[in-house]
Amino acid sequence: MARKKLTIQTKVNASTILEVVVSMVIIILVFGIAMMIYANVVRMSLSVKKIKAQAILQQTLLQAEQTNDRSTQSLMIDEFRIEQEIKPYGNLADIHLTAYDANQEKIAEVEKIIGNNE
Amino acid sequence: MLKASALYIVIIIALVIGLICSSLIVSAYFYRMEYQKKFRYDQLENNVCSGVNILLASEDTSYAKARIFSLFGSDADSVSLQRFPWGVYDVGISKAFIQKDTIVKVFSFANAVDSSKWAALYLEDQDRPLSLSGETSIVGNAFIPKAGVKKAYVNNKAYVGDERLVAGKKDTSQKKLPQLKKDRLLMLDGYLSKKPVNAVTDSLLKTDSIQNSFLTAARFINFGRKVQTIKNATLRGNIILFSDTTLIIDNSAVLDNVLVFAKSIIVKSTFHGTCQLFARDSIHVEPNCIFDYPSCLGVLKVTSDKRDTPIKIEISEKTIFNGLIFTYQLKEDGILPLISIGKDVKIYGQIYSQGMIKYKDDLEVNGSVFTSLFVYQSSFNLMENMLIDSKLNSRALSPYYLTSDLMSVAGKNKKILQWLEKN
Repeated sequence: MARKKLTIQTKVNASTILEVVVSMVIIILVFGIAMMIYANVVRMSLSVKKIKAQAILQQTLLQAEQTNDRSTQSLMIDEFRIEQEIKPYGNLADIHLTAYDANQEKIAEVEKIIGNNE
Repeated sequence: MLKASALYIVIIIALVIGLICSSLIVSAYFYRMEYQKKFRYDQLENNVCSGVNILLASEDTSYAKARIFSLFGSDADSVSLQRFPWGVYDVGISKAFIQKDTIVKVFSFANAVDSSKWAALYLEDQDRPLSLSGETSIVGNAFIPKAGVKKAYVNNKAYVGDERLVAGKKDTSQKKLPQLKKDRLLMLDGYLSKKPVNAVTDSLLKTDSIQNSFLTAARFINFGRKVQTIKNATLRGNIILFSDTTLIIDNSAVLDNVLVFAKSIIVKSTFHGTCQLFARDSIHVEPNCIFDYPSCLGVLKVTSDKRDTPIKIEISEKTIFNGLIFTYQLKEDGILPLISIGKDVKIYGQIYSQGMIKYKDDLEVNGSVFTSLFVYQSSFNLMENMLIDSKLNSRALSPYYLTSDLMSVAGKNKKILQWLEKN
Protein backbone atom coordinates (compact mmCIF):
# COMPACT_ATOMS: atom_id res chain seq x y z
CA MET A 1 0.00 0.00 0.00
CA ALA A 2 1.38 3.25 -1.07
CA ARG A 3 1.85 5.82 1.74
CA LYS A 4 -0.30 8.90 1.35
CA LYS A 5 1.35 12.25 1.95
CA LEU A 6 -0.66 14.63 4.19
CA THR A 7 -0.80 18.08 2.71
CA ILE A 8 -2.39 21.20 4.25
CA GLN A 9 -4.22 23.19 1.66
CA THR A 10 -4.72 26.37 3.82
CA LYS A 11 -1.75 28.56 4.08
CA VAL A 12 -1.30 30.41 7.42
CA ASN A 13 0.80 33.55 7.55
CA ALA A 14 2.85 33.85 10.66
CA SER A 15 3.47 37.20 12.36
CA THR A 16 6.97 38.37 12.37
CA ILE A 17 8.83 38.40 15.63
CA LEU A 18 8.83 42.23 15.58
CA GLU A 19 5.01 42.32 15.20
CA VAL A 20 4.57 39.98 18.16
CA VAL A 21 6.95 41.98 20.36
CA VAL A 22 5.21 45.29 19.56
CA SER A 23 1.75 43.77 20.20
CA MET A 24 2.94 42.36 23.50
CA VAL A 25 4.27 45.74 24.58
CA ILE A 26 1.01 47.46 23.59
CA ILE A 27 -1.17 44.92 25.36
CA ILE A 28 0.95 45.12 28.51
CA LEU A 29 0.71 48.93 28.43
CA VAL A 30 -3.07 48.85 27.89
CA PHE A 31 -3.57 46.32 30.67
CA GLY A 32 -1.31 48.35 32.97
CA ILE A 33 -3.28 51.55 32.36
CA ALA A 34 -6.58 49.67 32.81
CA MET A 35 -5.43 48.26 36.14
CA MET A 36 -4.34 51.71 37.30
CA ILE A 37 -7.73 53.15 36.37
CA TYR A 38 -9.55 50.31 38.10
CA ALA A 39 -7.44 50.72 41.25
CA ASN A 40 -8.07 54.46 41.27
CA VAL A 41 -11.81 54.04 40.82
CA VAL A 42 -11.99 51.49 43.62
CA ARG A 43 -9.85 53.67 45.89
CA MET A 44 -11.76 56.90 45.14
CA SER A 45 -15.27 55.46 45.41
CA LEU A 46 -16.95 55.56 48.81
CA SER A 47 -16.60 52.50 50.86
CA VAL A 48 -19.58 50.44 51.88
CA LYS A 49 -18.32 50.92 55.43
CA LYS A 50 -18.78 54.69 55.26
CA ILE A 51 -22.28 54.38 53.81
CA LYS A 52 -23.21 51.89 56.52
CA ALA A 53 -21.78 54.10 59.25
CA GLN A 54 -23.76 57.06 57.93
CA ALA A 55 -26.99 55.04 57.93
CA ILE A 56 -26.33 53.80 61.49
CA LEU A 57 -25.71 57.36 62.67
CA GLN A 58 -29.02 58.56 61.15
CA GLN A 59 -30.82 55.68 62.86
CA THR A 60 -29.15 56.41 66.22
CA LEU A 61 -30.04 60.10 65.85
CA LEU A 62 -33.67 59.23 65.25
CA GLN A 63 -33.75 56.95 68.30
CA ALA A 64 -32.02 59.53 70.50
CA GLU A 65 -34.60 62.11 69.43
CA GLN A 66 -37.50 59.86 70.32
CA THR A 67 -36.22 58.76 73.71
CA ASN A 68 -35.65 60.85 76.79
CA ASP A 69 -32.00 59.85 77.00
CA ARG A 70 -29.99 63.06 76.73
CA SER A 71 -26.62 61.91 78.02
CA THR A 72 -23.13 61.87 76.55
CA GLN A 73 -22.27 58.21 75.99
CA SER A 74 -20.45 55.68 73.85
CA LEU A 75 -22.33 52.91 71.99
CA MET A 76 -21.19 49.88 70.04
CA ILE A 77 -23.34 49.19 66.98
CA ASP A 78 -22.10 46.46 64.62
CA GLU A 79 -18.39 47.07 64.10
CA PHE A 80 -18.67 50.79 64.86
CA ARG A 81 -18.11 52.72 68.05
CA ILE A 82 -20.60 55.62 68.19
CA GLU A 83 -19.73 58.59 70.39
CA GLN A 84 -22.83 60.53 71.42
CA GLU A 85 -22.15 64.02 72.72
CA ILE A 86 -24.93 66.25 74.04
CA LYS A 87 -24.46 69.97 74.52
CA PRO A 88 -27.08 72.51 75.60
CA TYR A 89 -28.33 74.77 72.81
CA GLY A 90 -30.48 77.45 74.44
CA ASN A 91 -33.45 75.55 75.82
CA LEU A 92 -32.74 72.72 73.35
CA ALA A 93 -30.00 70.13 73.00
CA ASP A 94 -27.27 69.82 70.37
CA ILE A 95 -26.57 66.15 69.65
CA HIS A 96 -23.31 65.24 67.92
CA LEU A 97 -22.74 61.63 66.84
CA THR A 98 -19.42 60.35 65.51
CA ALA A 99 -18.78 56.84 64.17
CA TYR A 100 -15.33 55.20 64.53
CA ASP A 101 -14.24 51.93 62.92
CA ALA A 102 -12.16 49.12 64.51
CA ASN A 103 -8.94 51.09 63.82
CA GLN A 104 -10.39 54.05 65.75
CA GLU A 105 -10.56 56.01 62.54
CA LYS A 106 -13.40 58.55 62.18
CA ILE A 107 -15.81 57.29 59.50
CA ALA A 108 -18.83 59.59 59.66
CA GLU A 109 -20.51 62.22 61.83
CA VAL A 110 -23.88 63.96 62.16
CA GLU A 111 -25.10 66.87 64.26
CA LYS A 112 -28.61 68.10 64.98
CA ILE A 113 -30.59 70.33 67.34
CA ILE A 114 -33.27 68.35 69.13
CA GLY A 115 -35.90 69.09 71.75
CA ASN A 116 -35.11 68.60 75.40
CA ASN A 117 -38.05 66.23 75.95
CA GLU A 118 -38.65 67.58 79.41
CA MET B 1 -6.11 32.70 3.78
CA LEU B 2 -5.88 33.83 7.41
CA LYS B 3 -3.57 36.64 8.26
CA ALA B 4 -1.56 36.63 11.44
CA SER B 5 -2.16 40.39 12.06
CA ALA B 6 -1.21 40.43 15.73
CA LEU B 7 -1.18 44.26 15.77
CA TYR B 8 -4.77 44.55 14.55
CA ILE B 9 -6.00 42.12 17.19
CA VAL B 10 -4.10 44.02 19.88
CA ILE B 11 -5.65 47.32 18.79
CA ILE B 12 -9.15 45.82 18.97
CA ILE B 13 -8.47 44.36 22.42
CA ALA B 14 -7.07 47.73 23.55
CA LEU B 15 -10.22 49.46 22.32
CA VAL B 16 -12.45 47.02 24.21
CA ILE B 17 -10.41 47.49 27.39
CA GLY B 18 -10.57 51.27 26.86
CA LEU B 19 -14.34 51.11 26.59
CA ILE B 20 -14.62 49.03 29.75
CA CYS B 21 -12.30 51.44 31.61
CA SER B 22 -14.20 54.55 30.49
CA SER B 23 -17.55 53.03 31.49
CA LEU B 24 -16.02 52.17 34.86
CA ILE B 25 -14.85 55.76 35.32
CA VAL B 26 -18.22 57.21 34.28
CA SER B 27 -20.24 54.88 36.53
CA ALA B 28 -17.90 55.59 39.46
CA TYR B 29 -18.27 59.32 38.82
CA PHE B 30 -22.10 59.17 38.80
CA TYR B 31 -22.19 56.88 41.83
CA ARG B 32 -20.00 59.31 43.73
CA MET B 33 -22.03 62.30 42.59
CA GLU B 34 -25.31 60.67 43.59
CA TYR B 35 -23.93 59.60 46.95
CA GLN B 36 -22.64 63.09 47.63
CA LYS B 37 -26.07 64.42 46.70
CA LYS B 38 -27.71 62.03 49.16
CA PHE B 39 -25.16 62.90 51.83
CA ARG B 40 -25.84 66.62 51.30
CA TYR B 41 -29.59 65.94 51.35
CA ASP B 42 -29.29 64.05 54.68
CA GLN B 43 -27.27 66.90 56.12
CA LEU B 44 -29.79 69.47 54.84
CA GLU B 45 -32.64 67.39 56.23
CA ASN B 46 -30.96 67.34 59.66
CA ASN B 47 -30.33 71.09 59.49
CA VAL B 48 -33.87 71.93 58.41
CA CYS B 49 -35.27 69.75 61.23
CA SER B 50 -32.93 71.50 63.67
CA GLY B 51 -34.43 74.77 62.40
CA VAL B 52 -37.95 73.42 62.96
CA ASN B 53 -37.03 72.45 66.55
CA ILE B 54 -35.53 75.91 67.18
CA LEU B 55 -38.71 77.59 65.88
CA LEU B 56 -40.94 75.34 68.01
CA ALA B 57 -38.93 76.27 71.11
CA SER B 58 -38.71 80.00 70.38
CA GLU B 59 -40.90 82.20 72.51
CA ASP B 60 -39.82 85.72 71.63
CA THR B 61 -40.14 87.77 68.45
CA SER B 62 -36.55 87.19 67.35
CA TYR B 63 -37.68 85.27 64.28
CA ALA B 64 -40.39 87.73 63.21
CA LYS B 65 -38.14 88.53 60.25
CA ALA B 66 -36.18 85.82 58.45
CA ARG B 67 -32.89 85.27 60.30
CA ILE B 68 -29.96 83.52 58.61
CA PHE B 69 -27.27 81.98 60.78
CA SER B 70 -24.91 79.04 61.08
CA LEU B 71 -26.23 76.27 63.32
CA PHE B 72 -22.94 74.86 64.61
CA GLY B 73 -20.45 77.44 63.37
CA SER B 74 -19.13 75.27 60.54
CA ASP B 75 -19.36 75.52 56.74
CA ALA B 76 -22.37 73.53 55.65
CA ASP B 77 -24.95 74.34 58.28
CA SER B 78 -26.63 77.62 57.32
CA VAL B 79 -30.32 77.96 58.05
CA SER B 80 -32.88 80.71 57.59
CA LEU B 81 -35.70 80.76 60.14
CA GLN B 82 -38.88 82.79 60.34
CA ARG B 83 -42.14 82.60 62.26
CA PHE B 84 -45.25 84.70 62.09
CA PRO B 85 -48.79 84.49 63.44
CA TRP B 86 -51.44 82.98 61.20
CA GLY B 87 -54.81 83.61 62.77
CA VAL B 88 -54.95 81.78 66.08
CA TYR B 89 -51.97 79.61 65.14
CA ASP B 90 -48.40 80.32 63.99
CA VAL B 91 -46.52 79.57 60.80
CA GLY B 92 -42.83 78.71 60.75
CA ILE B 93 -40.44 78.65 57.78
CA SER B 94 -37.22 76.68 58.08
CA LYS B 95 -34.76 76.79 55.18
CA ALA B 96 -31.42 74.98 55.08
CA PHE B 97 -28.93 75.46 52.30
CA ILE B 98 -25.54 74.14 51.19
CA GLN B 99 -24.15 75.83 48.08
CA LYS B 100 -27.03 75.74 45.60
CA ASP B 101 -29.02 72.99 47.34
CA THR B 102 -31.89 74.19 49.48
CA ILE B 103 -34.52 72.39 51.53
CA VAL B 104 -37.52 74.33 52.81
CA LYS B 105 -40.22 73.31 55.24
CA VAL B 106 -43.21 75.52 55.93
CA PHE B 107 -45.50 74.41 58.72
CA SER B 108 -48.12 75.70 61.09
CA PHE B 109 -47.68 74.99 64.75
CA ALA B 110 -49.71 75.21 67.91
CA ASN B 111 -49.61 74.33 71.57
CA ALA B 112 -50.15 70.95 73.14
CA VAL B 113 -53.01 70.82 75.60
CA ASP B 114 -52.20 71.34 79.30
CA SER B 115 -53.89 68.32 80.83
CA SER B 116 -54.23 70.01 84.25
CA LYS B 117 -56.36 72.77 82.76
CA TRP B 118 -58.11 70.70 80.09
CA ALA B 119 -61.77 69.94 80.73
CA ALA B 120 -64.79 68.63 78.91
CA LEU B 121 -66.76 71.43 80.54
CA TYR B 122 -65.95 74.71 82.27
CA LEU B 123 -69.12 76.44 83.36
CA GLU B 124 -68.71 79.86 84.96
CA ASP B 125 -69.94 80.01 88.55
CA GLN B 126 -73.06 82.14 88.57
CA ASP B 127 -74.37 80.70 91.82
CA ARG B 128 -76.71 78.28 90.13
CA PRO B 129 -76.33 74.58 89.47
CA LEU B 130 -75.99 72.72 86.22
CA SER B 131 -78.90 70.39 85.51
CA LEU B 132 -78.74 67.27 83.38
CA SER B 133 -81.63 65.53 81.71
CA GLY B 134 -82.24 62.81 79.14
CA GLU B 135 -79.26 60.94 77.67
CA THR B 136 -76.69 63.50 78.68
CA SER B 137 -73.10 62.50 79.25
CA ILE B 138 -70.12 64.51 80.42
CA VAL B 139 -66.94 62.50 79.94
CA GLY B 140 -63.72 64.08 81.15
CA ASN B 141 -62.87 66.60 83.82
CA ALA B 142 -65.43 69.29 84.55
CA PHE B 143 -65.23 72.66 86.27
CA ILE B 144 -68.73 73.34 87.57
CA PRO B 145 -70.29 75.99 89.83
CA LYS B 146 -70.21 75.58 93.61
CA ALA B 147 -73.94 74.84 93.48
CA GLY B 148 -72.98 71.60 91.76
CA VAL B 149 -74.55 69.40 89.15
CA LYS B 150 -77.91 67.70 89.55
CA LYS B 151 -80.41 65.54 87.69
CA ALA B 152 -83.53 67.14 86.28
CA TYR B 153 -86.82 65.99 84.80
CA VAL B 154 -87.59 68.09 81.76
CA ASN B 155 -89.87 67.62 78.75
CA ASN B 156 -91.02 64.29 80.16
CA LYS B 157 -87.44 63.09 80.24
CA ALA B 158 -85.56 61.96 83.30
CA TYR B 159 -81.78 61.78 83.43
CA VAL B 160 -80.69 58.34 82.17
CA GLY B 161 -76.95 58.82 81.85
CA ASP B 162 -74.00 57.81 84.02
CA GLU B 163 -74.87 57.83 87.74
CA ARG B 164 -71.69 59.75 88.49
CA LEU B 165 -73.12 62.63 86.36
CA VAL B 166 -69.58 63.61 85.41
CA ALA B 167 -67.33 60.73 84.30
CA GLY B 168 -64.15 62.46 85.36
CA LYS B 169 -62.71 64.76 87.98
CA LYS B 170 -65.00 67.51 89.28
CA ASP B 171 -63.58 70.91 90.18
CA THR B 172 -65.15 74.18 91.18
CA SER B 173 -65.22 76.85 88.55
CA GLN B 174 -64.45 80.53 89.12
CA LYS B 175 -66.73 83.52 88.76
CA LYS B 176 -65.00 84.31 85.49
CA LEU B 177 -63.82 82.13 82.65
CA PRO B 178 -60.05 81.71 82.25
CA GLN B 179 -58.84 84.67 80.23
CA LEU B 180 -57.83 84.53 76.59
CA LYS B 181 -54.31 85.61 75.71
CA LYS B 182 -54.33 89.37 75.22
CA ASP B 183 -51.48 89.59 72.65
CA ARG B 184 -53.20 87.22 70.23
CA LEU B 185 -56.55 89.00 70.67
CA LEU B 186 -54.95 92.38 69.96
CA MET B 187 -53.24 90.97 66.88
CA LEU B 188 -56.56 89.63 65.55
CA ASP B 189 -58.32 92.87 66.44
CA GLY B 190 -55.60 94.77 64.58
CA TYR B 191 -56.58 92.99 61.36
CA LEU B 192 -60.26 93.68 62.03
CA SER B 193 -59.80 97.38 62.66
CA LYS B 194 -56.92 98.36 60.38
CA LYS B 195 -56.36 96.95 56.93
CA PRO B 196 -52.73 96.58 55.83
CA VAL B 197 -51.50 99.43 53.65
CA ASN B 198 -50.77 97.15 50.70
CA ALA B 199 -54.22 95.53 50.72
CA VAL B 200 -55.59 95.61 47.20
CA THR B 201 -59.17 95.49 46.10
CA ASP B 202 -59.03 92.43 43.98
CA SER B 203 -61.53 91.57 41.32
CA LEU B 204 -61.71 88.07 42.74
CA LEU B 205 -64.88 87.33 40.87
CA LYS B 206 -62.95 87.28 37.61
CA THR B 207 -60.38 84.77 38.76
CA ASP B 208 -61.10 81.18 39.59
CA SER B 209 -58.04 80.33 41.60
CA ILE B 210 -55.48 82.12 43.71
CA GLN B 211 -52.67 80.26 45.33
CA ASN B 212 -50.03 82.09 47.32
CA SER B 213 -47.02 80.44 48.88
CA PHE B 214 -46.11 81.12 52.51
CA LEU B 215 -42.58 81.74 51.22
CA THR B 216 -43.76 84.95 49.59
CA ALA B 217 -45.41 87.98 51.18
CA ALA B 218 -49.05 87.56 52.21
CA ARG B 219 -51.60 88.53 49.62
CA PHE B 220 -54.14 90.93 51.12
CA ILE B 221 -57.46 91.25 49.35
CA ASN B 222 -59.78 93.99 50.51
CA PHE B 223 -63.41 93.93 49.40
CA GLY B 224 -64.13 97.29 51.05
CA ARG B 225 -67.67 98.32 51.83
CA LYS B 226 -69.35 96.26 49.13
CA VAL B 227 -71.13 93.04 50.11
CA GLN B 228 -69.26 90.41 48.14
CA THR B 229 -69.78 86.72 47.55
CA ILE B 230 -66.82 84.43 47.05
CA LYS B 231 -67.96 81.79 44.63
CA ASN B 232 -66.45 79.42 42.08
CA ALA B 233 -63.03 80.32 43.39
CA THR B 234 -60.22 78.37 44.98
CA LEU B 235 -58.13 80.31 47.48
CA ARG B 236 -55.16 78.51 48.89
CA GLY B 237 -52.27 79.48 51.15
CA ASN B 238 -50.96 82.83 52.29
CA ILE B 239 -54.08 84.88 51.53
CA ILE B 240 -55.98 87.22 53.86
CA LEU B 241 -59.41 88.54 52.90
CA PHE B 242 -60.85 91.72 54.38
CA SER B 243 -64.30 93.22 54.24
CA ASP B 244 -65.77 96.27 55.98
CA THR B 245 -69.20 94.75 55.69
CA THR B 246 -70.74 91.33 55.11
CA LEU B 247 -68.75 88.72 53.23
CA ILE B 248 -70.59 85.71 51.85
CA ILE B 249 -68.70 82.47 51.25
CA ASP B 250 -70.53 80.33 48.74
CA ASN B 251 -70.42 76.52 48.77
CA SER B 252 -68.66 76.60 45.39
CA ALA B 253 -65.69 78.37 46.98
CA VAL B 254 -62.72 76.34 48.21
CA LEU B 255 -60.77 77.94 51.05
CA ASP B 256 -57.61 76.23 52.19
CA ASN B 257 -55.71 77.77 55.12
CA VAL B 258 -57.05 81.21 54.30
CA LEU B 259 -57.80 83.96 56.85
CA VAL B 260 -60.96 86.06 56.57
CA PHE B 261 -61.59 89.26 58.54
CA ALA B 262 -64.94 90.95 58.08
CA LYS B 263 -67.70 92.76 59.92
CA SER B 264 -69.92 89.76 59.44
CA ILE B 265 -69.51 86.49 57.55
CA ILE B 266 -72.11 84.18 56.07
CA VAL B 267 -71.04 80.67 55.06
CA LYS B 268 -73.48 79.12 52.61
CA SER B 269 -74.83 75.62 53.14
CA THR B 270 -72.72 72.57 52.12
CA PHE B 271 -69.50 74.59 52.14
CA HIS B 272 -66.40 72.46 52.73
CA GLY B 273 -63.00 73.90 53.57
CA THR B 274 -60.26 74.73 56.06
CA CYS B 275 -60.23 78.36 57.07
CA GLN B 276 -60.09 80.78 59.95
CA LEU B 277 -62.98 83.25 59.95
CA PHE B 278 -62.93 86.29 62.23
CA ALA B 279 -65.73 88.80 62.48
CA ARG B 280 -66.54 91.91 64.45
CA ASP B 281 -70.30 91.29 64.69
CA SER B 282 -71.41 87.84 63.58
CA ILE B 283 -70.67 84.61 61.75
CA HIS B 284 -73.52 82.59 60.36
CA VAL B 285 -72.85 79.05 59.14
CA GLU B 286 -75.68 77.56 57.12
CA PRO B 287 -76.62 73.85 57.34
CA ASN B 288 -74.49 70.87 56.25
CA CYS B 289 -71.14 72.62 56.18
CA ILE B 290 -67.86 70.85 56.92
CA PHE B 291 -64.88 72.70 58.39
CA ASP B 292 -61.73 70.62 58.47
CA TYR B 293 -59.06 70.85 61.15
CA PRO B 294 -57.52 73.34 61.84
CA SER B 295 -60.36 75.81 61.34
CA CYS B 296 -61.48 78.66 63.54
CA LEU B 297 -64.59 80.79 63.96
CA GLY B 298 -64.05 83.83 66.13
CA VAL B 299 -66.12 86.90 66.85
CA LEU B 300 -64.32 89.47 68.93
CA LYS B 301 -64.65 93.01 70.16
CA VAL B 302 -61.44 93.92 71.90
CA THR B 303 -62.01 97.65 71.87
CA SER B 304 -65.10 99.04 73.54
CA ASP B 305 -67.60 100.15 70.97
CA LYS B 306 -70.18 102.88 71.41
CA ARG B 307 -72.69 100.86 69.41
CA ASP B 308 -73.73 97.96 71.53
CA THR B 309 -74.41 95.43 68.78
CA PRO B 310 -74.54 91.89 70.17
CA ILE B 311 -71.91 89.51 68.86
CA LYS B 312 -73.01 86.14 67.63
CA ILE B 313 -71.89 82.88 66.03
CA GLU B 314 -74.64 80.76 64.58
CA ILE B 315 -73.95 77.21 63.42
CA SER B 316 -76.87 75.62 61.65
CA GLU B 317 -77.86 71.97 61.71
CA LYS B 318 -75.79 69.01 60.53
CA THR B 319 -72.59 70.99 60.35
CA ILE B 320 -69.31 69.31 61.27
CA PHE B 321 -66.70 71.61 62.70
CA ASN B 322 -63.09 70.72 63.56
CA GLY B 323 -61.14 73.35 65.46
CA LEU B 324 -61.83 76.32 67.67
CA ILE B 325 -64.95 78.47 68.10
CA PHE B 326 -64.75 81.50 70.34
CA THR B 327 -66.47 84.75 71.20
CA TYR B 328 -64.85 87.56 73.12
CA GLN B 329 -66.01 91.01 74.11
CA LEU B 330 -64.11 93.45 76.24
CA LYS B 331 -67.21 95.06 77.67
CA GLU B 332 -68.56 92.60 80.17
CA ASP B 333 -71.86 94.32 80.89
CA GLY B 334 -74.50 94.66 78.22
CA ILE B 335 -75.73 91.93 75.91
CA LEU B 336 -73.79 88.71 76.26
CA PRO B 337 -72.07 87.20 73.20
CA LEU B 338 -73.97 84.23 71.83
CA ILE B 339 -72.98 80.97 70.20
CA SER B 340 -76.02 79.27 68.76
CA ILE B 341 -75.68 75.61 67.82
CA GLY B 342 -78.27 73.87 65.68
CA LYS B 343 -79.51 70.31 65.73
CA ASP B 344 -77.11 67.44 64.91
CA VAL B 345 -74.09 69.71 64.82
CA LYS B 346 -70.86 67.86 65.61
CA ILE B 347 -67.95 69.79 67.02
CA TYR B 348 -64.49 68.28 67.34
CA GLY B 349 -62.37 70.77 69.23
CA GLN B 350 -63.05 73.65 71.54
CA ILE B 351 -65.80 76.16 72.21
CA TYR B 352 -65.02 79.23 74.28
CA SER B 353 -68.04 81.40 74.83
CA GLN B 354 -67.67 84.46 76.95
CA GLY B 355 -71.42 84.53 77.06
CA MET B 356 -74.14 82.06 76.20
CA ILE B 357 -74.22 78.81 74.30
CA LYS B 358 -77.71 78.32 72.97
CA TYR B 359 -78.58 74.91 71.60
CA LYS B 360 -81.71 73.16 70.48
CA ASP B 361 -81.19 69.42 70.66
CA ASP B 362 -78.45 66.83 70.77
CA LEU B 363 -75.50 69.07 71.48
CA GLU B 364 -72.37 67.03 70.72
CA VAL B 365 -68.93 68.36 71.48
CA ASN B 366 -65.97 66.02 71.29
CA GLY B 367 -63.48 68.22 73.06
CA SER B 368 -64.00 71.06 75.43
CA VAL B 369 -66.66 73.68 76.20
CA PHE B 370 -65.90 76.82 78.20
CA THR B 371 -68.97 78.95 78.72
CA SER B 372 -70.66 81.38 81.08
CA LEU B 373 -74.11 79.99 80.47
CA PHE B 374 -76.02 77.26 78.63
CA VAL B 375 -79.39 78.10 77.19
CA TYR B 376 -81.61 75.29 75.98
CA GLN B 377 -84.32 76.28 73.57
CA SER B 378 -87.22 74.06 72.63
CA SER B 379 -90.46 74.88 70.87
CA PHE B 380 -92.07 75.60 74.21
CA ASN B 381 -89.51 76.89 76.60
CA LEU B 382 -86.10 78.40 77.23
CA MET B 383 -84.02 77.02 80.09
CA GLU B 384 -80.72 78.12 81.55
CA ASN B 385 -77.83 75.85 82.55
CA MET B 386 -79.72 72.78 81.44
CA LEU B 387 -78.09 70.04 79.39
CA ILE B 388 -80.60 67.79 77.66
CA ASP B 389 -79.54 64.83 75.50
CA SER B 390 -76.12 66.39 75.14
CA LYS B 391 -72.73 64.76 74.85
CA LEU B 392 -69.61 66.54 76.04
CA ASN B 393 -66.63 64.23 75.73
CA SER B 394 -63.08 65.47 76.06
CA ARG B 395 -61.67 61.94 75.64
CA ALA B 396 -63.24 61.52 72.20
CA LEU B 397 -60.95 64.18 70.81
CA SER B 398 -57.81 63.03 69.01
CA PRO B 399 -54.76 62.84 71.31
CA TYR B 400 -52.91 64.76 68.58
CA TYR B 401 -55.26 67.74 68.88
CA LEU B 402 -53.38 70.99 69.31
CA THR B 403 -54.82 74.21 70.63
CA SER B 404 -54.02 77.86 70.06
CA ASP B 405 -52.00 79.83 72.60
CA LEU B 406 -55.01 82.13 72.69
CA MET B 407 -56.66 79.60 74.98
CA SER B 408 -55.85 79.22 78.65
CA VAL B 409 -55.60 75.43 78.28
CA ALA B 410 -52.59 75.78 75.98
CA GLY B 411 -49.55 73.99 77.37
CA LYS B 412 -45.95 75.15 77.08
CA ASN B 413 -44.90 72.66 74.40
CA LYS B 414 -45.45 73.65 70.82
CA LYS B 415 -45.95 71.00 68.16
CA ILE B 416 -46.36 70.86 64.42
CA LEU B 417 -49.97 71.27 63.39
CA GLN B 418 -49.72 70.91 59.64
CA TRP B 419 -47.05 70.73 56.95
CA LEU B 420 -47.97 73.51 54.56
CA GLU B 421 -45.19 73.37 52.00
CA LYS B 422 -41.94 71.49 51.52
CA ASN B 423 -39.59 70.54 48.74
